[in-house]
Amino acid sequence: MAYQEDIALMAHLMRRAGFGAGRDELEARVAKGYQATVEELLHPETQPAVDDYTLLRYQPAALLPGGQPPMGNVNIMYHLVNTKRPLEEKMALFWHHVFATGNSKVDNYDQLLSQIGLFRERGMGDYRALLLTIARNPTMIFWLDNNENHGTAVNENWGRELLELFSLGVGAYTEKDVREASRAFTGWTFETKIPRLPYGRFPWKFEYRPEDHDDGEKEFLGHRGRFNGEDIIDIVVEQPACARFVCRHLYNFFVADEPQVPAWSIEAPRDQKAIDTLTAAFRQSRFDIRSVLRVLFNSSFFKEARFKHLKSPAEVVVGSLRFVGGQELPRPGYGDLSMQPAYMGQDLLNPPSVEGWHTGPEWINSGSLMARINFVASLVGDPSLPGVRAIIDRLKSKGSLSPEQLVDGCLDLLGPVEVSAETRQELVAQAKEWGQTGWASETSAKTADKRVGEMLQLIVATREYQFA
Amino acid sequence: MPLTTVARGRVYEWSHAVGRGAASGTGFNYPQTMCLAKGGVAYVANRGNENNFGMRVNEVKIGGPGQEELLAEFFQWGEGDGRSTWPFGVATDGRNVYVSDEWNNSISVFDSSGKFLRKWGKSGSGDGELMRPAGLVCEKNGNLIVVDSGNNRLQVFTGEGKFLAKCGKGGSGDGEFDQPWGITVDQAGNIYVADWKNHRIQKLSPQGKFMMKIGQYGKVPVPADAYAVTPLGPYLSASGTPGYPKAGLLNHPTDVAVDTDGDIYVADWGNHRVCVFDAEGNPVANLIGDAQVMSKWGQMSIDANPDMMKARRRARSLEPEYRFCFPTAVDFDPETDRIIVADSQRNRLQIYRKVRDYVDFQANL
Repeated sequence: MAYQEDIALMAHLMRRAGFGAGRDELEARVAKGYQATVEELLHPETQPAVDDYTLLRYQPAALLPGGQPPMGNVNIMYHLVNTKRPLEEKMALFWHHVFATGNSKVDNYDQLLSQIGLFRERGMGDYRALLLTIARNPTMIFWLDNNENHGTAVNENWGRELLELFSLGVGAYTEKDVREASRAFTGWTFETKIPRLPYGRFPWKFEYRPEDHDDGEKEFLGHRGRFNGEDIIDIVVEQPACARFVCRHLYNFFVADEPQVPAWSIEAPRDQKAIDTLTAAFRQSRFDIRSVLRVLFNSSFFKEARFKHLKSPAEVVVGSLRFVGGQELPRPGYGDLSMQPAYMGQDLLNPPSVEGWHTGPEWINSGSLMARINFVASLVGDPSLPGVRAIIDRLKSKGSLSPEQLVDGCLDLLGPVEVSAETRQELVAQAKEWGQTGWASETSAKTADKRVGEMLQLIVATREYQFA
Repeated sequence: MPLTTVARGRVYEWSHAVGRGAASGTGFNYPQTMCLAKGGVAYVANRGNENNFGMRVNEVKIGGPGQEELLAEFFQWGEGDGRSTWPFGVATDGRNVYVSDEWNNSISVFDSSGKFLRKWGKSGSGDGELMRPAGLVCEKNGNLIVVDSGNNRLQVFTGEGKFLAKCGKGGSGDGEFDQPWGITVDQAGNIYVADWKNHRIQKLSPQGKFMMKIGQYGKVPVPADAYAVTPLGPYLSASGTPGYPKAGLLNHPTDVAVDTDGDIYVADWGNHRVCVFDAEGNPVANLIGDAQVMSKWGQMSIDANPDMMKARRRARSLEPEYRFCFPTAVDFDPETDRIIVADSQRNRLQIYRKVRDYVDFQANL
């Protein structure tokens, strides 16, 4: 039982810090140890990077995809499916949700992919440095109109979102602070880029124009001076509200679902003690995200939070594709595959607004639920896929299975997935209609393969399976 | 900002560019390979994208500056004879045009104007079977050599598709391949293969025996102040034309050509350059792309879109546009001494001329 508990805990870690893992990988990771696995995840540089060249050999249009889907989605999905550095990709998705920037306005997947690359590279590093980098990121500058923020005509879009959605949260600043922060970022813009016709896209480059910067005195969050943008970020990261805000985001993404961000100023966190623990790590480490994640993944509040997080569409799609296997190389139709999260409500590289996506139960509606179930069921019901075959082979090694054994075996190897007694009873009732499942003869083996696939399909259609 | 590259005993002058990004008609869409026919005609195999746009072979008359002309298009996306999923290799024997489709594992044959004639190909690893066929080249005797990339070997077929011979296997030893891409033959019939994942060129005898290898893995260094034209380069630096100091280091080479002197040209795809080697494999020069003059079709795009011209005039530097961005294919035209490079991510051809009578008497101009 202790070993089974280790497997369940490792499966939990890999679902949250990655995109899940098959049984072979879980067993190898248990042998390596929980803490060692956490350290490996926290240090992606110890694992090989995704081979971009192979993607470009088959799908050259994925490098500079322009403004039309799905080639940008092909690029990000290829990374998500093939990465050996799952937490690096998870953090890229995390920051993509926090610093949400979308193709609906940017009309340029190249720039959005470049921003994702930045999150991969810096997502577990110094939050202050990341905030400064994103303030200089031309994609963000265009998205939030800072190229229209002039010394003589202030545009508050970036200044406001910096405080409201990227660092402090509503209630921790005043309208005057927004104005003053915006003044400090005047002149932060980008060079005119070479236009897309006739040879395709070229990137933006950050440019600081001192002649367009308002160098006057500003008063910001109780500080007074002739602040530039970097000074504003230095003041922001020292605010207690900043630590609370960033850590609540991390808790919501990795531990358990919180209310939507706009409600954070009126609704207390579900676990204030956990937030306090993360906040302390954030401040003690001087904004080092890796240190906060180390505390998070090793905490009891994380280990006890199994199935308290509703899977995002990206987690559903990527987790399923990695689990069943055979999806590593691009192929015709990879574009449609890459758009699956969008069909479930999470259009990667194109969030609905600067607020990112609404998470938790808001992922689910009648349409998105059907899209989730149909997508996953289509994969786990295919015994030719390596991950499904691996489950069948493990069950087969146990000999003839009773209905209860079939249900419990499938639940175990698909997660382990924890379901209510009522759900299990319904699954067993279905299995009983099939009788014993065995692989003794060629005919029964064919039927048994089919039965396993159908049982997996039933499980992925349960309420419980939507949680991670 | 040189347009003339001077190297040991050789001079290369940039001539002009041909093409623009276009999913159909006058332009290219991610060329994977290319071959030349008589009279300065090129056949270019375009990969296209996941919206099923752009896949095709286009037949283009290169001409001189401003003379590019689209002659035909064929092998567009679709099912059935004469249609493609993932076009890759293209070759001509002067009469027919052969095109590989690396998804359908087939070779389709067209006449020189693009009329479908026949096709063959079966997935697998047995004799005559194909797995992701890539580059193609026709031998003087009319046989077709297919880079059977997924099987890490070369196979020789008659023009009708009858299997004749094979050589190579997976690996990194002499005569072994790792996902090879482009191919060419020299005047003596020797075979040169871009051994893509082994980051080298291999030279084989006409019978397929290993003779020589060129290059080793290496990326051009990225200067600290580099401006990345794409996340994977090329990289430009204010401190000078950056990152191209050492010839002979290759990063996923995709194609190879040999000129009438025996000089060897390698499309050093991942390093965004064409490396020139002498016949013994010694590095001679690098061409990095010099498209300072717009192609005819490119200029048409600009003329039709005044906003683009306005933006171009405001751009601080157009240098990123001059440079190669993942060049996939290189060919040498012995009729004109021209080196033609398929500049894949920029959807154009860049054309250089090997100048044999270059004289510069005065250094004190």
